[in-house]
Amino acid sequence: MTAKRIDVKGIVQGVGFRPFIYRIAKKNDLKGYVKNMGNYVEIVVSGKLNNIDAFLSDLKLEKPPLSKIDNISIEDIDENENLNEIYGDFTIKLSDTSKIEEEGTIPPDISICDECLKEIMDKKDRRSDYAFTACTNCGPRFTVIEKLPYDRENTSMKDFPLCKSCIEEYKNPEDRRFHAQATCCDICGPELFITDDSGKIISNDICDAVKFLEEGKILAIKGIGGTHLVCSINSDKSVLELRKRLNRPTQAFAIMSREEYLDLFSKIDENELNMIKSPKKPIVALKKNELYEKYFSEHVSNLNTIGVMLPYSGLHYLLFENTDQIAYIMTSANLPGLPMSIDNEQILEKLENIADYFLLHNRKIVNRCDDSVLKEINGKMELLRRSRGFAPEPVEVNYKKIKNNSKNILALGPELNSVACLVKNNKFYLTQYIGNTGKYETFNYLKDAVENLIKITNTNKIDAIVCDLHPSFNSTIFAKELGEKYKIPVTQVQHHESHCHSLMGDSDIFENNVTIAIDGLGYGNDGNIWGGEVFLFKNGKIERAGHLEEQIQPGADLASKYPLRMLASILNKANLNVSEIIKGYNYFSEKELKLILFQLEKNINVSKTTSTGRVLDSISALVSLCFERTYDGEPSIRLEALANEYTGEISEIEKLVEESIKIENNILDTTSLVVKSLEMLNNNEKIEKIAYFIHIAIADGLSKIAIETAKKQSIEYIGITGGVSYNKIISERIVENIKKESLKPLIHKRIPNGDGGISFGQAIGYLLNSN
Amino acid sequence: MNITRMHGAGGTVMQKLIKETILGNLENTKIEGGIGLESLDDASTIPIGDKEIVFTVDGHTVHPIFFPGGDIGRISVCGTVNDLSVMGAKPVALSLSIVLPEGFDIEKLDKIMKSINEACKEAGVAIITGDTKVSNVDDIIISSAGIGIVDSGKAVRDCGMKEGDVIIVSGNIGEHGLTILLSREGFEFESELKSDVAPVNGLVQSVLNAGFEINAMKDPTRGGLADSLNEMAEKSDLGILIHEDKIPISDEVQAIGEALGIDPLTVANEGKVVMSVKEKDSEKILEILTAHPLGKNAKIIGNVTSEHKGVLMETIVGKRIVDTPMGDPIPRVC
Ligand SMILES: [Fe+3]
Ligand SMILES: [Mg+2]
Ligand SMILES: [Zn+2]
Ligand SMILES: [Zn+2]
Repeated sequence: MTAKRIDVKGIVQGVGFRPFIYRIAKKNDLKGYVKNMGNYVEIVVSGKLNNIDAFLSDLKLEKPPLSKIDNISIEDIDENENLNEIYGDFTIKLSDTSKIEEEGTIPPDISICDECLKEIMDKKDRRSDYAFTACTNCGPRFTVIEKLPYDRENTSMKDFPLCKSCIEEYKNPEDRRFHAQATCCDICGPELFITDDSGKIISNDICDAVKFLEEGKILAIKGIGGTHLVCSINSDKSVLELRKRLNRPTQAFAIMSREEYLDLFSKIDENELNMIKSPKKPIVALKKNELYEKYFSEHVSNLNTIGVMLPYSGLHYLLFENTDQIAYIMTSANLPGLPMSIDNEQILEKLENIADYFLLHNRKIVNRCDDSVLKEINGKMELLRRSRGFAPEPVEVNYKKIKNNSKNILALGPELNSVACLVKNNKFYLTQYIGNTGKYETFNYLKDAVENLIKITNTNKIDAIVCDLHPSFNSTIFAKELGEKYKIPVTQVQHHESHCHSLMGDSDIFENNVTIAIDGLGYGNDGNIWGGEVFLFKNGKIERAGHLEEQIQPGADLASKYPLRMLASILNKANLNVSEIIKGYNYFSEKELKLILFQLEKNINVSKTTSTGRVLDSISALVSLCFERTYDGEPSIRLEALANEYTGEISEIEKLVEESIKIENNILDTTSLVVKSLEMLNNNEKIEKIAYFIHIAIADGLSKIAIETAKKQSIEYIGITGGVSYNKIISERIVENIKKESLKPLIHKRIPNGDGGISFGQAIGYLLNSN
Repeated sequence: MNITRMHGAGGTVMQKLIKETILGNLENTKIEGGIGLESLDDASTIPIGDKEIVFTVDGHTVHPIFFPGGDIGRISVCGTVNDLSVMGAKPVALSLSIVLPEGFDIEKLDKIMKSINEACKEAGVAIITGDTKVSNVDDIIISSAGIGIVDSGKAVRDCGMKEGDVIIVSGNIGEHGLTILLSREGFEFESELKSDVAPVNGLVQSVLNAGFEINAMKDPTRGGLADSLNEMAEKSDLGILIHEDKIPISDEVQAIGEALGIDPLTVANEGKVVMSVKEKDSEKILEILTAHPLGKNAKIIGNVTSEHKGVLMETIVGKRIVDTPMGDPIPRVC
């Protein structure tokens, strides 16, 4: 007889790990116990040595699909203790939190599993039509947990004591629902109800919700980790009404559809299909196909892509029952820039004028979690938003300088698309998507999310805080407040350096590299605004090696809001007759235009910017595509969609680009690119061609600077990061250019390219530069 | 480090300079029983019997020295009078110290002096001492110290806001700063935009004389309303919630601010006060203010709360944090 103590660390809670251990212990004829220790699982087994070996091999090879083992430590137990007598059987012991050490991991939410779904659809099953059906293999995790360990009393399921049948399942180690913390049924679990806009309950039947949707009504639907505004996609009337009520004139809506319908309206490839079907069930930006228009209109998405997700909970599947709707608009229920509403009262209050009816339930959402969004670029699924299904699972970095980190670091990110990051050892815990922390409500959400992250990772001290260099970001001010309050050092890291560090951490490659970091805006080391940067990372030091030409941004944020201002500014720099050209657009009043020109002439409230976004914006205005940005990146996002319509010869554009690119001292002249675009417009070239031209020109110009820098330094890696790297045309062109030179491209895989990856990069940058 | 324009812009950069380099080197900054320099209020006090003498000084350089609505002379008087006024004091007398550059046109000086005289009559104050120098400066500099009188313990502080108070601003904001900006840079006006520079002692006294208490008060000059509100909130250790749609702003200032990307909340005023008063008095105080020619656009713009710190503004798209301005705004939208 031998006895061993086995500690397993990793994602081992809320994924059916203990029943699995129970089963393999029984199978191998072992005695002992398994116990949840809050952040790891402790197992004691006693039996024949070869059985223990078989047990260990089962543990590694057959572990539950959603679990993740980071570390197994095995220790012999003194044979003199007669363990066989102490452990007469193999048992699952109650959780023990007395030994909680710092590290712990809660799994993200997991979409409903096939077995649970089957039960919902089975009219004879006791869970038939029950929206909250879940088991150890599926259901909410992160969004219902208040603290560790992941036991029912620490989740919002504590409000729903199990009924007799559910207890039997919960206590039976052979059952799929053994210790399934989110399990419930229609007798004991959360209940759905439908209210009108006054909050009066008018039905408890989800079929009525489907009926309202079919009638063209707008519904607020509280789901698992968040709330959606939902309407039928069949009639433009509902879609346009939703746009009007949300004051969201153009930003594409995401839709929810069924797997079997995807081919009807999209061109989906294998990568995309695997991602959209995965248990994470994110939104995937799919290419529209030729038949798209047959099903939905431009009013759903005016881009060449459409964001689609599949149902991920029982509730969602039930919305597709007894209806011929092939998709619904499913957009997060919030006013632009504000956090999604999650509690019933707030939903009713904030969405009173937006939704006609409310499909709600009585389970509390503890952690709000927006849908994640991915897009395929360069053949890889890249994260536009890393949230539900991903958070709070940590990202590991194994680079030697980071692997042995012993500090707990809190990085607070930038301002837009904010995500915070907590680092413990070599694990980077990113919060769910937070949003625009320039808004007070969203800023508070950031604070709450950080607090929750600290709680659910059992963190009891922070050693360092990292934030952006921008002096007026709320996150910067918050970082300084926290630092002062808790006497923790605060380090400010430049925005684009953080983008570069984020890419290195993402790929876990810290070799010397050149990285192109392109986006809308970041506060530069010189006090100007950056956003079209080429960095050289050499021997552990990062420096700016090249960039786009500096342009004047007139009126601070106004120039981002009204892209015609950027066009005016760049043409002004080119000494063209700006007044006449801009007047032609008939957009600004005479007085306003006069003030803008006055502002440019006298340098009143202007900043210098090397932003790639602002150059693309100016072309978006030049071709009369977009004069007002109503959502992040709108002018350039729509310009990319337009460029995709270009059907002419690529070689023709390449030739034009080659003639137009001017680089001096590693600075790409953007004025002449804009002037060239204006010439093309004046020569009645198609606007698709102009749009395509500027994309290739920027891609080739930046590639040239990066490749030359790399070659001069004998560097083989060239990376691409920043929000503009979501632009498929620019990104794929740059990667193509890199490959042509037999250099190695670095692209994002695990971390968002955009500002959602900044906090991660801030933390990496801090670690690289400390000690 | 050398002084930059930011050090004079009234924002956090300037605050730091004042706290560290200026106050940090002074030890005697207070008269027993009075309000001293370290509280950085609009003026300080010296207790004498059952009264307090209220004392302040302001130095003025303005470009251009003549602008729509006023000139450097008028500002010199009003700036000092207003600092006394927002302490709740009755301004009595001013000093006048003029530094002139070589080559300065005497006719201009004459015009400035006439304007000073006019403003003194409006405010009911006397200039009882003065000094004139010619020196190597770029343009005329006028400094003016002033004294006023207030009953003992009745000085209105900027730190005295109480939870539940209501915030009132006495009229349209942003006019002075935008006027100066546009006329300095030579923008051709086709508008009535002009500086609001005026002495507010009469306006303030009309409230106090009616027997109302003002818990806290400031004149929102450099840094504008945003700066004054933040200072009042910070010093009172409370929060202020204001409502965007209630802030009095003329269409003209709104339009020009929107065209240049300048937030009127951060723009200087020279004839306005912002006060924190008990809610129950607020409507009556508003009535008194709006009856006065300088207060006809007065509005209740918000209230004082302990629910948060700092200044928040309710807008149609949620709440916004109103920061202390730091000079020119830095873009923050991607
Ligand atoms: Fe960025
Ligand atoms: Mg003053
Ligand atoms: Zn399941
Ligand atoms: Zn039950």
